[in-house]
Amino acid sequence: MALFLKDSTGEYSYDNLLTSINGSDGYCQNLQTDSLYSFFLNLIVALVHNRPATLLDSDLSLEEISIIDESTINKRDKIDNKVFNSIEEVINEIWKSSSKITIFTSGTTGQPKNVVHTIETLSRNVKKHTGHTNDIWGFAFNPTHMAGLQVFFQALSNLNPIINLFEESREKIFGLITSNNITHISATPTFYRLLLPIEMSFPTVKRISFGGEKSDRKLYDKICGMFPMAKVTNIYASTEAGTLFSSKGDCFVIPESISDKIKVDDDELLIHQSLLGISDNFIIEKEYYHSGDLIEWVDEKNGVFRFKSRKNELINVGGYKVNPHETEEAISNLPGVQQVIVYHKENSVIGNVLCADIVKNPNTEISTIEIKKILKQKLQDFKVPRVINFVNSLSITRTGKVKRK
Amino acid sequence: MKHKILEIINEIRESNSLPTLDFITEENRLREDLGLTSFDLAELTVRIEDETDIDIFDDGLITTVGQIYQKLNI
Repeated sequence: MALFLKDSTGEYSYDNLLTSINGSDGYCQNLQTDSLYSFFLNLIVALVHNRPATLLDSDLSLEEISIIDESTINKRDKIDNKVFNSIEEVINEIWKSSSKITIFTSGTTGQPKNVVHTIETLSRNVKKHTGHTNDIWGFAFNPTHMAGLQVFFQALSNLNPIINLFEESREKIFGLITSNNITHISATPTFYRLLLPIEMSFPTVKRISFGGEKSDRKLYDKICGMFPMAKVTNIYASTEAGTLFSSKGDCFVIPESISDKIKVDDDELLIHQSLLGISDNFIIEKEYYHSGDLIEWVDEKNGVFRFKSRKNELINVGGYKVNPHETEEAISNLPGVQQVIVYHKENSVIGNVLCADIVKNPNTEISTIEIKKILKQKLQDFKVPRVINFVNSLSITRTGKVKRK
Repeated sequence: MKHKILEIINEIRESNSLPTLDFITEENRLREDLGLTSFDLAELTVRIEDETDIDIFDDGLITTVGQIYQKLNI
């Protein structure tokens, strides 16, 4: 039987998956796990039973998401056993699911915000047809993130194998691409940057997608050299709206099917509320959500545009969006910290590296290593500043605000 | 400078709650042998750049300690 998932813990066929689904008499609404197989299985079981699920990163601490009650994490709820005769039956049931799936996004203030999606918004761009039967996916995203979910649903609906490449070393990734004849990879620019320099090429790969952060032309050209047979595309997917646009090169095209639901106001991309998941945290103005992404038209008549920058202050660190206010709040709560500012420096490895300038109380003896150690217990790794400087005072702007560099 | 690089790597390892090392060799691989993640590699580049003004990763990935020494001509 066809392979479903291969990762460092083992191999699981679609038969194994069907047996696990049929044998499930419970599931967790708030599952937190390191196991990719358990994560996918739990999500599928929730969907086919029309139950809600919240997708939590395995390293997320409760301080980061206060809306979740600790006692509910990994608590198993009983469900009536449902038996499916084939994996195709499972997939058909998934498409009909009324489950509400909650994922988290970096809010513009304070803690991560929850967004509730349905199978419709999660799988908007999934393509299922015989042309995809022989695809083999390299999985290179965090599974709780929108882009990871897109790959999962795309692979599942075509019964393709998923080979886990996420957080593996470069040598291991090269070995896995070759030994599994991987044909499709979707990943952040940071993932591809870590594959450089080009030492070998991979002709089995037919499709490469970039997503999650702004890509640069130099990287794009190098990746084309590494995967000479691949069609290279960019994908715009957001936690709020799922996948909306994809394209060739560094431009995006607004598909005709949603062209009446996308507007541009003062260079900012606005998305009609009908394309979004549901969240109390969205601010909708006259039916449109302000994405914070600033664009420029390449060909306005045909809906072709390029991303310029972001309007708000979220910092993209290796494909993860960091809200500097969240990190600042965590640092201000440390003993002996008077004032703090979090900012970023451009970096050739992960796009941006997070930095913090801290004003300490005169009598406090705390080292940068101690600060990092404490923060790592409270925040996910990408939210912890890698460069910490102790300073005598912070630069203040004329309006009295602390200046972000 | 080699001593400084060991010091930076040890500081990164310490903040990840990994034991510090007495020495590193040119053959040591940054990820597999020294346990550095992509975020750690980013920190390493910034810290080395602060000392030397050289971005060790500017034209692609460096995988071993020896390659850092080469890039810095030390």
